[in-house]
Amino acid sequence: MSSDATPSFDIDVRRRMGPDAEVALRFTAGPGLTALFGRSGAGKTSVLAMVAGLLRPDTGHVRVAGETLFDAASGTSVPTARRAAGYVFQDARLFPHFRVRGNLRYGMRRATRQAMSLDAVAVFLGIDQLLDRWPRTLSGGEAQRVAIGRALLSGPRFLLMDEPLASLDMARRGEVMRLIERVRDELGLPILYVSHDRSEVDRLAANVVEMG
Amino acid sequence: MLLSPDEWQIVRLSLKVSGVAVALTLPPAFALAYLLARGRFPGKILIDALVHLPLVLPPVVTGWLLLIGFGLRGPIGSRLHDWFGVTLIFRWTGAALAAGIMALPLMVRAMRLSIEAVDRRLEGAARTLGASGCRVFWTITVPLALPGILAGVVLGFARSIGEFGATITFVSNIPGETQTLPIAIYAALQVPGSDAIVTRLALISVLLSLGALVISELLSRRAGAGRGGHVL
Amino acid sequence: MRLTTRFISFLLAAFATLWLTTAATAKPPLVLAAASLQESLNAAADAWAAHHHERPVLSFAASSALAKQIDAGAPADLFISADEPWMDDVQKNGFVSPGTRVSFLGNNLVLVAPADSKGTIAIGPGFPLAQALGNGHLSMADPDSVPAGKYGKAALTALGVWPSVQGKVVRGDSVRAALAFVERGEAPFGIVYATDALSSKGVRIVAVFPASSHAPITYPIARLAASTSQDAEGFRLFLISAEGRAIFRRYGFLPHRPQAL
Repeated sequence: MSSDATPSFDIDVRRRMGPDAEVALRFTAGPGLTALFGRSGAGKTSVLAMVAGLLRPDTGHVRVAGETLFDAASGTSVPTARRAAGYVFQDARLFPHFRVRGNLRYGMRRATRQAMSLDAVAVFLGIDQLLDRWPRTLSGGEAQRVAIGRALLSGPRFLLMDEPLASLDMARRGEVMRLIERVRDELGLPILYVSHDRSEVDRLAANVVEMG
Repeated sequence: MLLSPDEWQIVRLSLKVSGVAVALTLPPAFALAYLLARGRFPGKILIDALVHLPLVLPPVVTGWLLLIGFGLRGPIGSRLHDWFGVTLIFRWTGAALAAGIMALPLMVRAMRLSIEAVDRRLEGAARTLGASGCRVFWTITVPLALPGILAGVVLGFARSIGEFGATITFVSNIPGETQTLPIAIYAALQVPGSDAIVTRLALISVLLSLGALVISELLSRRAGAGRGGHVL
Repeated sequence: MRLTTRFISFLLAAFATLWLTTAATAKPPLVLAAASLQESLNAAADAWAAHHHERPVLSFAASSALAKQIDAGAPADLFISADEPWMDDVQKNGFVSPGTRVSFLGNNLVLVAPADSKGTIAIGPGFPLAQALGNGHLSMADPDSVPAGKYGKAALTALGVWPSVQGKVVRGDSVRAALAFVERGEAPFGIVYATDALSSKGVRIVAVFPASSHAPITYPIARLAASTSQDAEGFRLFLISAEGRAIFRRYGFLPHRPQAL
């Protein structure tokens, strides 16, 4: 690994979360999948939210693949909508009033050039048979795959994944984990991956950041 | 014919007045509901109280305030007349104003509840997908709040149809212009021997109100059907 | 504990005394009266009370509304209507105590305008009331049921003006409601009794309707069959006595003019 390559993640954030809770993390990481590993409640999701722009740190900076998304010192804060983060939430967070196809297409406006078409992504994720279904009719694993597809199709420059396997049963977990490996290997995007499961982290991550 | 032509005219006038009242009250009601649901500013409790005032004030007091404010001699009414040639007193438009004000609190309440029920995390997800604030509002917030908004509209309509105290105080009783269903029933009640008319008009009134309430309730149930549950 | 018991006993004793004393007093008569009698009848009731009687309870509304209440069985003692037909209605339905009906007051019908307005108009056959109203409204009591409105409609019809102003009429519950809109300046003209105009500083009389244009305005009084107050008959007799009529005359009421046969 060349030592002068731009780090995929250069994060230094601190934020007060309540009267006696604070989240603070500082790390840089090279290419590939970076895992944020720690026990529940350590603030890993908050860190992801700060990288996505959904939460504003009190101090510090957020740089991803060389681009500054947040810098307290200079007062820079790129709005969430322009950060081009592909965020896969722990609970999928699909829009209940759009079908699967509508969910997948929601972010496609932003994508200036499509790496893959909707149909290609659907096949890639094994959800091409589900395009006309409503989110509430999907299983946990199907919903999670749709969530990944939705994030991929929004033309992201990097991916944020918040415990995407946590709510899945064993069979689904293996299936989705293989998908994530494919995404990791074939798309070459920086990925920040939150998990409290050591085995997931060992298998997927090139870099591990411990929290809590 | 169930009703005489005169009686049908009364029903039509009531529907017109209430329809216009609700249509014109919808934007400010939604704006207030959004402000109260999402806003954080000093004096929020005061705004909330003012919005609810028509609900708890005696309707005749509301009517009196409209009279002294929007009448031809009132500060607002006189300007409307002199600058725009608009008169509200003794006109169906004044009746619509009275009905709209009385319906506002109910509409704001229903809409506010549905806006508060919209999962803000879904809005956050939409933003991560590149949606601007405007796009999030129209493609996520409004569609998900829609059943509650519609319930508010229907409830406001039902309230408008039944509005009496403020209306009769402000625009009085003018057949064909301001004599809405409740006012017609009241006027008929003042005269002996009118029970047949009163019964017919009261029946229509009950049917309209009941219908509106049922529709509103069904819509409210869909609104509360759950964050992951409902389908539009 | 003993203090509480003593306190409760005291309260009970107080209530019992209050109850007994109020039960022992005679019930004052309840009078249902036409709205135009508000000030004058209150003055008469005060005069009656000054003669060491219970002051009567007065309820004012349009005569049509009062007739409706009486027909529905309202437990009142006296009824004073602003026209004969509503008294006829109540009597026909058997609610009037026989031999107690007397017509004892008269009135004039006038066209009024807000006190600070300037326009004048003379009343005569075909007079241009619709033009004078312009976009404004004519404030009247309901012309279909309330006596003041019926007299007004009859007068305007006799003068050939009713069709042209019919669509501009604001129907008040009572002649006082009609007066109020003119007082507020919301209506440029109104039709009320001369006594109403005299009692209000907010309106001025523009013209008087000729007596020939409408039926004579008369106020019949009667004791109701449902009357229970012992004072009712006494108060009725007082009202139609010379002393009573004098009070009404002070407020502008005319002596009763019997209908020409």
